[in-house]
Amino acid sequence: MRARRLALWALLGLVLAAAAVVWAPNSSYSNQDRDLPLAGASVHHPAGTDALGRDRMVRVAAALLLGLAGAVAAAAATTLAAAAVGALSAFSPAALGAAGMMVCDVFLALPWLFLLMMVRSALPLTTSPGSSAAITFFVLAALGWPACARAVYRGAVNLKHAEWMLQARAGGLRPSQMLRHVMPNLMPLLVPQFLISIPAFIMAEANLGALGLGIGEPLPSWGGMLAELDSSAMLLQTRWVYLPIALLILVLLLVEAISVEARP
Amino acid sequence: MRGATRLLQRLARTLLVVLLVVVGSTLLMRFAPGYLSDAREMDARYAGAARIELSAEAARSGTLWQLLSNEMHAWTKGSLGLSRQYDVPVLQLIGPRLAVTGSLMLRSIVLAWTLALCASLLSSAGRNPSMLWQAPAAVLLAVPTAAMATLSLLAGSGGPVLVMTLLLAARDFKFLDRTLRTAWRDPCLLQARAQGIPALRLVRAHILPGIRPQLLALATLSIVTALGALVPVEVIFNVPGVGQLAWNAAMNRDLPVLLAVTMIMAIAVTLAGMTSDRSIDWQAA
Repeated sequence: MRARRLALWALLGLVLAAAAVVWAPNSSYSNQDRDLPLAGASVHHPAGTDALGRDRMVRVAAALLLGLAGAVAAAAATTLAAAAVGALSAFSPAALGAAGMMVCDVFLALPWLFLLMMVRSALPLTTSPGSSAAITFFVLAALGWPACARAVYRGAVNLKHAEWMLQARAGGLRPSQMLRHVMPNLMPLLVPQFLISIPAFIMAEANLGALGLGIGEPLPSWGGMLAELDSSAMLLQTRWVYLPIALLILVLLLVEAISVEARP
Repeated sequence: MRGATRLLQRLARTLLVVLLVVVGSTLLMRFAPGYLSDAREMDARYAGAARIELSAEAARSGTLWQLLSNEMHAWTKGSLGLSRQYDVPVLQLIGPRLAVTGSLMLRSIVLAWTLALCASLLSSAGRNPSMLWQAPAAVLLAVPTAAMATLSLLAGSGGPVLVMTLLLAARDFKFLDRTLRTAWRDPCLLQARAQGIPALRLVRAHILPGIRPQLLALATLSIVTALGALVPVEVIFNVPGVGQLAWNAAMNRDLPVLLAVTMIMAIAVTLAGMTSDRSIDWQAA
């Protein structure tokens, strides 16, 4: 419990520090200092600049905020969709429930990375960076719900056969009233699913971005900055190119530490 | 008789899932907002009229029914469609690469299982989870596959098999450690240990047979995880496998190739899931 609280405070500190860097006066993730490409650490650029002369510190901070915000939003959407599909499948007639779970099976049979690549590559050629970020996290949310829905379905079926539920049904409780009582009982299942989804989505975005299929430039993203590591010329110039990966691992470890104790 | 009926039901369900995967992927691809746009439309060498004709041609051949029937026809013929990028049957592209990918996956999964099983047997022997084993697994799980592959390439040590093995071993270890810890807490095993029966004998004769269903489930999970790691690893290490082909197809909007690869992967996952479920049924019987 103490480790979880520590991790939560550390993550909050990181987010606040990143917000301070991004919203500081005169800082912009897309401003270019054309005289200083691939510069080392200095007073003006504490973590140096990238190949286009953009401040690396601001870009990493913006990527942290964008990645976390996108992953949290996608995880919330995934959990909501999973709760709706799982609970409705459990409490609807058997045939409808089986159909709902069949849809889950179809999604689970599809390897998510290949499906993500397929959807991302079929986007219009002129997608704006903002839209590409929104679409990336939307697609992650759209593909992430079935495993969670299966767990919710199993939990809801157990609740359906619980004694208090049988008594409530025998007493004439309507399905809408039943769902109102079921949802709070599913929370111990939904909260860990939500927390588990966050690092998974951050990692998925990083992998997609490193392959050139993630968030479009000039928006900064973990994946886009990991792709910088491909250039060995850049690595010889400055060691600050390793900052994004170090920070990404730290963020993922903190989120993992927060979620690990919430698991059933 | 009942077993045969259940097997047939499961087979029918698997076939239905595969069919739905084919139809669903085709629908998804067709209704993706940029499906009808062609990279040639951005080429300044094409005149305006030629560009209009290109998009009209794409719209004509892109009706949903036509797309589905073309897809089904290509699959029944065994060619898996025609690559837009290379203008050759997709099967010709995928065939030789399947062996490369299969070998990479098999070696990685076998190595990862050996590593994870040895580590979890040693780790679960202790009373409490030790940081010595847990910390490396947690760090490995926090590194995205692409980053791990890039770092391994930059360090000049290891290769695709090592990266996939580490990734899979970390995941397998986490699962196996928890399963073995629960198994060791069984009262009959506690008594057997108290009586002085060697731990190795207990593992061989009691624990491993007891956790067989979980091991089979983990085997399926390993395949799914390996498939997810395949693309970044093959792309970064320049391994000529199916993952690299899929990435290449995604970058060049070669959707027939991407669709065929996705469907082959989906069939592999479904069959792996069915095999492990079947083995659990046999064991239960």
